[in-house]
Amino acid sequence: MDKLILKVRNLKKVYNGKIVLDVESLNFQEGKIYAIVGPNGSGKTTLLNILNLLEKPDKGQIFFYDQEIIDKSNSDTVEIRRRMTLVDQNPFLFHSTVYDNIAYGLKVRAISSKVQQNRIKSALNMVGLPGFEDRKANQLSGGEAQRTVIARALVIKPEVLFLDEPTVNIDKKHIDVVERIIKKIKKEIKTTVIFTTHDLSQAYRLADEVISLLGGKIIKQVPENLLQGEIIREKDGLKWFKVAENIKFSVVSEKVGPAYISIDPRDIILSYKQFQSSARNSFSGKIIKIAEQNNLVKLEVDVGTPLMTIITRESFQDMNLNLRSKVYLTFKASAVKLY
Amino acid sequence: MDFIIEGMQKAFQLILTLDSEIFNIVLLSLRVSLTAVILASLLGVYLGFLMAVKDYWGKRFSVALVNTLLALPTVVIGLIVYSLISRRGPLGVFGLLYTPSAMVVGQLILAAPIIIALTHSAVQGIDKRVRDTALTLGATDAQSAWMVIKEARYAVLAAVITGFGRVIAEVGAAMMLGGNIKGSTRVMTTAITLETAKGEFGFAIALGIILLLIAFVINILLHYFQSKRA
Repeated sequence: MDKLILKVRNLKKVYNGKIVLDVESLNFQEGKIYAIVGPNGSGKTTLLNILNLLEKPDKGQIFFYDQEIIDKSNSDTVEIRRRMTLVDQNPFLFHSTVYDNIAYGLKVRAISSKVQQNRIKSALNMVGLPGFEDRKANQLSGGEAQRTVIARALVIKPEVLFLDEPTVNIDKKHIDVVERIIKKIKKEIKTTVIFTTHDLSQAYRLADEVISLLGGKIIKQVPENLLQGEIIREKDGLKWFKVAENIKFSVVSEKVGPAYISIDPRDIILSYKQFQSSARNSFSGKIIKIAEQNNLVKLEVDVGTPLMTIITRESFQDMNLNLRSKVYLTFKASAVKLY
Repeated sequence: MDFIIEGMQKAFQLILTLDSEIFNIVLLSLRVSLTAVILASLLGVYLGFLMAVKDYWGKRFSVALVNTLLALPTVVIGLIVYSLISRRGPLGVFGLLYTPSAMVVGQLILAAPIIIALTHSAVQGIDKRVRDTALTLGATDAQSAWMVIKEARYAVLAAVITGFGRVIAEVGAAMMLGGNIKGSTRVMTTAITLETAKGEFGFAIALGIILLLIAFVINILLHYFQSKRA
């Protein structure tokens, strides 16, 4: 079995009396790529900041290899932090050249300028920006800036590289480039990479393992049709999950208030016409995405909010479905899973 | 009216012939004020930085205090320092009164609040991510602090230059603490006061022109650094 580079035990972080992170146990193996997925506010960034020792948890332990690293003296913290690095989701570049930016991590480690030059050159090659040394940082495009901060992180040869939403603030063209860089990091330098994303398909494309966070907790299976909203009680006593102003699902719930729900795509019935049944939820919408997967077809239908449903290839062909076809989605209140 | 025209003619004559008395006064002014500003910068940039980044008890009070000290009249500084260093004062044994050192002390007290206050706001205006970025790249606390100052460099330089502009042009503290002794503590502003009272307009105007030129250069520099901030 591969060695564990990071271990998290009973980690808790509280902000203003609210638990934002509550992780019982989490392991990261050397040299693997991990994706942490979850909606905004699920604790992804907080987890990365704590692992990189930028924030202190209120409770719990983190082990780097077998060394406990939270309650250390300042100088020990710097030593451990120097073996990892984090790339922020809004990359910040110092007001100087690309070269000076990338050199910073080497300078604070007192690495000779000759070694600096070589390492900076190969880091720029790695991210596909050769010859960018003398460019002014404030003249780079968003995608170039993102690649420069990745080069700045790679140049220090970290044992763990944290990337917080590496593709959230850049255009489509650069997303592909950054994804390719992450794959290249795994292949060529075998650094452990831990990145966050709210794009599930990106997580599965890149990662060896996907960790799903919801309300600060790790959930076993990564749910599909995950929605954030509020459970309300109507005058007749029935409970509804309100996703947006004019869309609500009937749910079975004891409590009211803000919540997350998920609906298994296999529990949603797709039809051309609305039909009488015991299912309490039925919505009309248009198909906005079609993806084939082996003998199944995944359809995304916009019913005011996008919902995913899965049908067999036979049904798909029999029903003669197309993009923008108008369909009904029907599911039972008990198919809505609450978190 | 003739005395003004004669004074102007005399002034240009003094400047163009590089009159040694004039230039000794200018050099002493520069020496005293530069020394005061360098010392005030070492203290003021450090304190201004700490005030911006550290959380401590009484922080708001200290910010208000520094801002109040911006309005400190130079004659009050003269009075306070005078009472401390005059022969009867607690620091009288050092014999500092009526020396350039006494003027440096007075000007340091004048410049320090300006540099503290402007550095404080300069560092506050720096993106919080500078420090975090430096830390994630392996900087120690001191290294990350230095990076924050470096990012604020143009605004901090502007603070230092503003402090210099203030002290080179002040007259109250220089007069009270230096005593305007010829060849020893006579600086541009105190010399202008004296020569005007004596009716030596040419001499006073010559010094006035040089002082204005210095102010002009300071403003050009200030403008340059402020435009670089963007």
